[in-house]
Amino acid sequence: MISDQAKKEIDFWITKYPEGRQSSAVMQALTIVQNENGGSLTGDLMREIADHLQMPAISVQEVATFYENYNHKPVAKHTIRFCHNISCMLNGSDDLISYLEKKLQVKTGEISKDGLVSVKKVECLGACVGGPMCQIGDQYYEHLTPSKLDNILDDLK
Amino acid sequence: MSEIEFEIDGKLVTANPGDSIISIADREGIDVPRFCYHKKLSVAANCRMCLVDIEGSPKAQPACSTPVANGMKIHTRNDKAKSAQKAVMEFLLINHPLDCPICDQGGECELQDVAMEYGTDVSKFNLGKRIVADKGIGALIQTDMTRCIHCTRCVRFGAEVAGIVEMGGTGRGEDVKIEPFLTEGIQSELSGNMIDVCPVGALTSKPFRYEARTWQMSAVETIARHDLVGSNIYTQTYRGKVKRVVARDNELVNETWISDRDRFSYEGLNHESRALHPKIKKNNKWQEASWEAALDFAVNGLKKNAQNANQLGVLASKNSTLEEYYLMQKLARSFGSENIDYRLDKADLSIRNKMLSSITLAEMESVDHALIVNSYLRLEQPMINHRIRKATLNGASVNTINNKKFDFNYRTDLEVLCSPQKTLLMLQSILKSLHNKTKTTAPKNLSKIKIDDSQNKIADDLIAAEKPVIILGEHVNSNISSSDITDVISEIAALANAKIANLSLSGNSLSAEKVGFKPSIKGQNAASMLSENTKAFLLMDIDLNYDFINSKLATDTFNKDDVFVVSLNSFEDEAALINLDVLLPMAGLYESSGTHINFDGVAQSFSASVKGPGDSKPGWKIIKVLADLLELKGFDYTDSSQVADDALSIAVSEDNEPIEKNIKDSDDSQIAIHWQYSPYAIDGVTRRAKALQETQIGKMNDAFISVATAKELQLTEGDLYHGVPVSINETIAEGCVFVHTYQSRKG
Ligand code: SF4
Ligand code: FES
Ligand code: FES
Repeated sequence: MISDQAKKEIDFWITKYPEGRQSSAVMQALTIVQNENGGSLTGDLMREIADHLQMPAISVQEVATFYENYNHKPVAKHTIRFCHNISCMLNGSDDLISYLEKKLQVKTGEISKDGLVSVKKVECLGACVGGPMCQIGDQYYEHLTPSKLDNILDDLK
Repeated sequence: MSEIEFEIDGKLVTANPGDSIISIADREGIDVPRFCYHKKLSVAANCRMCLVDIEGSPKAQPACSTPVANGMKIHTRNDKAKSAQKAVMEFLLINHPLDCPICDQGGECELQDVAMEYGTDVSKFNLGKRIVADKGIGALIQTDMTRCIHCTRCVRFGAEVAGIVEMGGTGRGEDVKIEPFLTEGIQSELSGNMIDVCPVGALTSKPFRYEARTWQMSAVETIARHDLVGSNIYTQTYRGKVKRVVARDNELVNETWISDRDRFSYEGLNHESRALHPKIKKNNKWQEASWEAALDFAVNGLKKNAQNANQLGVLASKNSTLEEYYLMQKLARSFGSENIDYRLDKADLSIRNKMLSSITLAEMESVDHALIVNSYLRLEQPMINHRIRKATLNGASVNTINNKKFDFNYRTDLEVLCSPQKTLLMLQSILKSLHNKTKTTAPKNLSKIKIDDSQNKIADDLIAAEKPVIILGEHVNSNISSSDITDVISEIAALANAKIANLSLSGNSLSAEKVGFKPSIKGQNAASMLSENTKAFLLMDIDLNYDFINSKLATDTFNKDDVFVVSLNSFEDEAALINLDVLLPMAGLYESSGTHINFDGVAQSFSASVKGPGDSKPGWKIIKVLADLLELKGFDYTDSSQVADDALSIAVSEDNEPIEKNIKDSDDSQIAIHWQYSPYAIDGVTRRAKALQETQIGKMNDAFISVATAKELQLTEGDLYHGVPVSINETIAEGCVFVHTYQSRKG
C-alpha cells in the first residue's frame, strides 16, 4: 500500500506537468514508492501507481523495468552498484566485481546471507574519470582497488 | 489536396501529400517487405525491414515512415535497397529460434516468407541466442516469445484498437520482452486479433495449437453470426472439421478485425453433447431411430396433437439462418398456424412500433455524440463498439443510461444509473427537456414529468451534436415496457435529429424479422403459446434452460404429457431429454449453407464449410422434408439458395400486428431482474466453446445488487441469487438485480 504521505509527494510532482499529463510523474512516483517500500517495488505497488496516475499498469512496468534504479526483488541493506561500462571495464571493473562476489559469497543480483549487501552491475554513472567505481547509497567510491573495497565493506553495517 | 508525382521502381505514380511510400507501393502492387507496419495501426518504424533506396538520400530509408514527395525517385529492389533489406533480415534472425518445423505459424509466417527472399541460408552468428520464458497470457493466445521480433504490432493493437493497453515492452536492450502486466492474462474481447497481426509465431491461437499445418487446411469464406455485424471470416478446415477461424477483410463490415467470440466459438462444434442421431421418445423411453422413422414419428405426433391447426406452435432462437426462419414460418403458416415466434427472451411482446435503425455500421465511426441506452455495448456488439470507440478518438462524446456501470474502452461523459422500472420515465424526462429546449409543445402525458440536471445535459448534448446517434441495447428486452421505451426513443431521435441504432436485436434476428417470424394478429406469441392451449411444438435451435425469459414456464409446458415437442438442434442436453419428444440432429454453425442479415440490412450468404457430424442434416432440409411429410405445398426446394431467393423477396404485410400479451419474469416482486449472459454464453455453440469459457469474460458470474436492494432482499455478499453469487456494490441502480453470468436462467 502506498501511504498518504507518499501520495502527497507524488501529487506534488504531478503539478509540475501540464493538466492531463499526470503520467509524466511516473518516474518520481516509482522512486518515492520504492524508497517507502525499503528499496524495491512489487506488482501491487506498480498497479497502485498506475491507478493513481490513471495510466495502464503495463506502462508503469515498462518504465520500471527499463531503468536500472528500480528493483523488483527485495534488496539488501546496502546495494553496491558497480559500474561495468567501458571506462570502468577498461580499468578492471570485471575483476573487482569477481573479487566482491568471492569475498561476499554472492553473485551479482543476489543478497549476501546476512542480508547486509548485494552487488548489482549498473551502466555508466558519469564518473568515468574515477573508474573503476561504484555507488553505495548516495555515495560514489572511485579509483577502487581490492584493498579499498575491503575497507569500504568493513565500514558497512 | 493537391496530388504529388513521383517515381517508384521506374513507374510514374501520384499520391496525396502525407502518404507513406509503403502505402503507395501496396497500392501499386509493389512488394516491400515489412514487419512492424500494419495498415490499421500507427507507424512505429522499428523493424527497419522496409528500407528502400531514395535517389539523393545517402542511406536507405524506411518506406513505412517516409512520406512521398514531388519528384522522388524510389527504388525498392535495386542493389542498395536489397542489401539494406538483407542486412536487416540478418539482424532479425540473430535471436530468432528458427523453429519453423514446430511452429504453428509455419507456412503463414511473414518472417519465414521474407527470410526466404532476403535471408541467407547460412548464418554467420555463432553465439548463444536469446531465450524468453513464456508465462502464459490466457486461454486464447499461445505465446512463444522467443520468436518475437519486437515489432510492437500487438502492443499498438491494444493501445489503438482494443482500447486496453495490455501488452507492453518491458526491460531494455537485449532483454526487452513483450508481455502483459505481471501475471495478468489478456482480457480484451478483441484479443484474438493480436494473433492475426503478429507477423511471426510468437502469438498463435491456443485452441488451434498443433491441430494442423496451415497448408493442409482449406479456407472457406463465410460469415460469423453471433452478432448483428456478420463479420466476414474464413473457416479453415481439415479432415472435415473446422480447425480455426480467421478474419477476412471487409471494410464496410468488420474492417480487418473480428471479435474473440467469432474467432473461437467454432470449438463448441466438437463438444461431446453434439446431437448425432435422430431420437424419439416412445413410452417414455428414448431410442435412436432412422431419419425416416423419426420424421414419421414426429409428423404423426404433430398431426395428432394439433388437430386444430392453431394448436401448433413454432419457436426458434435468434441464431437460425434466414432460410431456416423462412421455411419454418412457411411450414407453420401452410399448416394453418400463426403461432410463430423467436422473441423468447423478451418481456414485452407487443410491437406497436417497430423501431428501425437509421445508421450504417460505417457511419457509426463518424458520429460526434452517442447516447447509449441499456447496453454493455463492448461485450454485446464488440465490432460496433469498436466503431464508436473510433468516433470517440475523433472527439465524439458518449453518455450512457444503464442499469449498471460498465467498463467501456473509451471515455464516457455522463453515466446515468437507472433501474429498468425508471428507464421509461428517465427517457420521458429527456424528451420533455428536448421539447423545452427546441420550443416545441410537449404532449400532454409529459406535463407532470420532472426534469433534473443530468437529463437536461443529455438533451443538451443531443441537440448540440451535429451527428448524434442513440443506441439501444439488449437490456431493454427484459423490460416490461420496452415498446413504450422504443416509442420515446423514436420521438427523442426525431426531435434531436439523431440517428437510431437498435441493437436490442442480436444474432440473426434481422433475418427472423425479414421473413416475419412472428405471430400475426390471429396467432399467439411465445408467451401465450407457452401458457395456453398449444399442444404441439416445433423448436429450432433452442436451449431450454437458457433461451426463454421464463425457462420454468417453458420446460413445464413442454414436459406435460399432452404436449408433443419436436426439436431441431445441434446439441442435446439433459433438459432436452427430460422435456422433449423428438430430437432431430441439425447441422451446426458453419455446417450448413445459409444467409445472415446484418445491421446494415445486407444479406450475406455463405456455403457450408464442413458437413455436420453423424447423421445430422442442415436445418433447411429437415424442415423441407417435414413439410413434405405433412403434405404441405410449396416446398420443392433443391438448394438453399432458392429458399434464400424466396425469403428475400417476400414482403411481410404490415398488418401483422400481434395481440398484446405480455409476460413478466418469473419473479413477481417489485425488483426488476435483467439476466445478461456473458458474451460467451449467448448461444449453444459459443457456450460450449471451451477456451472462451476459460477467459475472464467467459467466467463472469455475478448478481449485482445495490446496498439498499440487497437489504430489501435480505441478501449478503456471496449469497446465491438464482444460483449466481451476489455482488453488492454501488455501480448498480436501486431496485434491480443485474445478473451477468454464463449460467442458465434456470438456476
Ligand atoms: S509478439 Fe508478435 S506482434 Fe507482438 S511484438 Fe512480438 S512479433 Fe510483434
Ligand atoms: S564507465 Fe563507469 S562511470 Fe562511466
Ligand atoms: S515496416 Fe517500416 S520499419 Fe518496420
